[in-house]
Amino acid sequence: MFKLFKKDLILFLHDHRSVILTFLLPVLLITLFAFAYGSIGAYDGRSEPVKLLVCDLDGTKSSKEIIHELDSLEDIITTVSDPIISKELVIKGEYAGALIIYKGFQDSVENGNSTPVELVYDRSREMEIGILQHNLISTLMSSTGEIIVKKSIEKYLQGLFPAINPAITDNIVKTTMKEDNKLSITYTSVVGEKNDTKLGLIQAVAGTAIMMLLFSVAAVGTSILEEKENGTINRLLYSPLKGSTILYSKMLFAFFISILQLTVMFLFAWIILKMDMSVSIAGLIMLIVATSFAVSSLGIFLASVAKTRQQAHNLSTIIILVMSAIGGSMIPLFIMPPILQKMALLSVNYWGIQGFYDLFWRALPLEEILPKILVLICIGVLMTSASIQLFKKRIIKS
Amino acid sequence: MITVRSVSKSYGNIDALKNVSFNIEKGEIYGILGPNGAGKSTIVNILNTLVKPDTGDVIIDGVNIKNDGETIKLIMGVVPQEIALYEELSAYENLMFWGGLYDIPKPELKISVQKTLEIVDLAYRKNDRIKTFSGGMKRRINIACSLLHNPRILVLDEPTVGVDPQNRNHIFEVIERLNNEGMTIIYTTHYMEEAERFCDKIAIIDAGQIVAQGTLKELRQISNVTDQLTIKLADADNETIARITSENPLFMFDSTTGTLKVECGNIGHDTPIILNQIQNSGGVIERIYTQGTNLESVYLKLTGKELRD
Repeated sequence: MFKLFKKDLILFLHDHRSVILTFLLPVLLITLFAFAYGSIGAYDGRSEPVKLLVCDLDGTKSSKEIIHELDSLEDIITTVSDPIISKELVIKGEYAGALIIYKGFQDSVENGNSTPVELVYDRSREMEIGILQHNLISTLMSSTGEIIVKKSIEKYLQGLFPAINPAITDNIVKTTMKEDNKLSITYTSVVGEKNDTKLGLIQAVAGTAIMMLLFSVAAVGTSILEEKENGTINRLLYSPLKGSTILYSKMLFAFFISILQLTVMFLFAWIILKMDMSVSIAGLIMLIVATSFAVSSLGIFLASVAKTRQQAHNLSTIIILVMSAIGGSMIPLFIMPPILQKMALLSVNYWGIQGFYDLFWRALPLEEILPKILVLICIGVLMTSASIQLFKKRIIKS
Repeated sequence: MITVRSVSKSYGNIDALKNVSFNIEKGEIYGILGPNGAGKSTIVNILNTLVKPDTGDVIIDGVNIKNDGETIKLIMGVVPQEIALYEELSAYENLMFWGGLYDIPKPELKISVQKTLEIVDLAYRKNDRIKTFSGGMKRRINIACSLLHNPRILVLDEPTVGVDPQNRNHIFEVIERLNNEGMTIIYTTHYMEEAERFCDKIAIIDAGQIVAQGTLKELRQISNVTDQLTIKLADADNETIARITSENPLFMFDSTTGTLKVECGNIGHDTPIILNQIQNSGGVIERIYTQGTNLESVYLKLTGKELRD
């Protein structure tokens, strides 16, 4: 029995792919997920400061005091803006929320009325909004809450007993302060409200579609090496075809499969999962084409880096899983620590997923998605150029 | 038809070909014989312009491959050593695909595919996927794919590796038929009997160099290999053997096999004379073995090693 065990162990150790998939890949993913959930590294569980837009339409001492106090908090960085621009910036995803202090704020405080304060926010940025809510309530309570309550009780008592002794009023205020206040913030979600799309569905469809696309396209890329190994590439080279034609045709096929796969995925999401498709059709088409181009080029590039089919398979499995993990395919980006969110910019998944978020969640028009489309096209061009050079060297001339 | 002059090719520090030269006449079957790694496939790839030689010239049908590789590809068909087919496609689909690469108009291509399937005797399986074919059948379709554009020169790189005798004979018949129709054929192999069977000229290649080339008769002369007669004596004692060898100094006694070995120029003419000499010296002949000069002995003599080692 031991001899059989030993034989299996030797075979396993000789199979580098199995060893990598058994040990290295899980270790890499565990490390990434641990980072993402904030359990390891220098990350202490605190997020980077949340960027908050503030619009002071009241322009009074009280409103300025609120803004000053908010700005002095570690967890919030404020930027002054006006309400229209602020809403636009929140919709575009550049800020998590905007605090609008309407005219009459100070009067409301002094008269003990409800404060005209509104927080417009993006529901998809759940963690940042949580931080904002916590800090806003604390700040408003500490700076205006007491005044509001005091004024409110004084007003009430004056109504009932016009000749009441101010000392008695003070006592009553002190004892009831914590029982009633008219501090109020209106919360208004301004993103994802135009259509019926659910945030989780966008994450599931875009994240999974791009990850699976990478796997399919890597398989197309690997087929070049398979053809090299079984001799069909050489036979193609014996014909009047040029080497570059063979490579371009593979790239075209990978591109076509990518477009087809993404289209089918979104059709499935639309028809079966009832995903709202009332978005910019031009934007959707361009984003599908750009994502397909970037992903297919990456798939071909991974195959061109490898020398054998086995090597390509191992390499693409690792790269795709790691990239999908950091790029937001497996875990939504907003729960990741800042460092991983920055690293996400290096993955093709990030640009594709964020593009689809812009389209389906933020309902942005084509011109707003263009920068992400351009990044995807640049990734495609870079990967294609590198693949051509590597293939000429490794496949055609070898 | 084909002239290869002083061609050399290296990959890094490895000399794949060293100063190789040969001529092939139109309608010839030219065999390139050598062990694996001798440089046969490099020659094939150079002839087909897939690999550029470091030095030397290759002229095919009056065209220097350096100047017009495209023309060479049209007049030459190459049967690769690997079974370079798409297993998931049928024989017909494979042939249509490979033929389609030569821009043959579809009606003509269809006729060519049918004709080629008949040449390799697989028309009855044309709609079956390649993966359902035996190894020998795949080899025949592998050849068929290289005939669709009606090449004037056919290069076959070890086309019978791993093929059973029946399919091997099929392949030989196809090659002989094509040659009878005027096609020039270059045939690389490490099977002596194949080269001996139908090659008009043979080049023996070893470690990137052509050791010798010519017809089998010329190779015999070059190698100076003679026929050999081996005689087993009945109840021969040491005294008898000593007498035979002293009276006939060219007779060698092999103590390990207990036989006498005699090299002779012409086995048919010399055998009765040798047997007579042994009997005159008192030897009683039990059994005679004859070994004529073949390619194997020529190869052994020229390279100092067995081809199948």
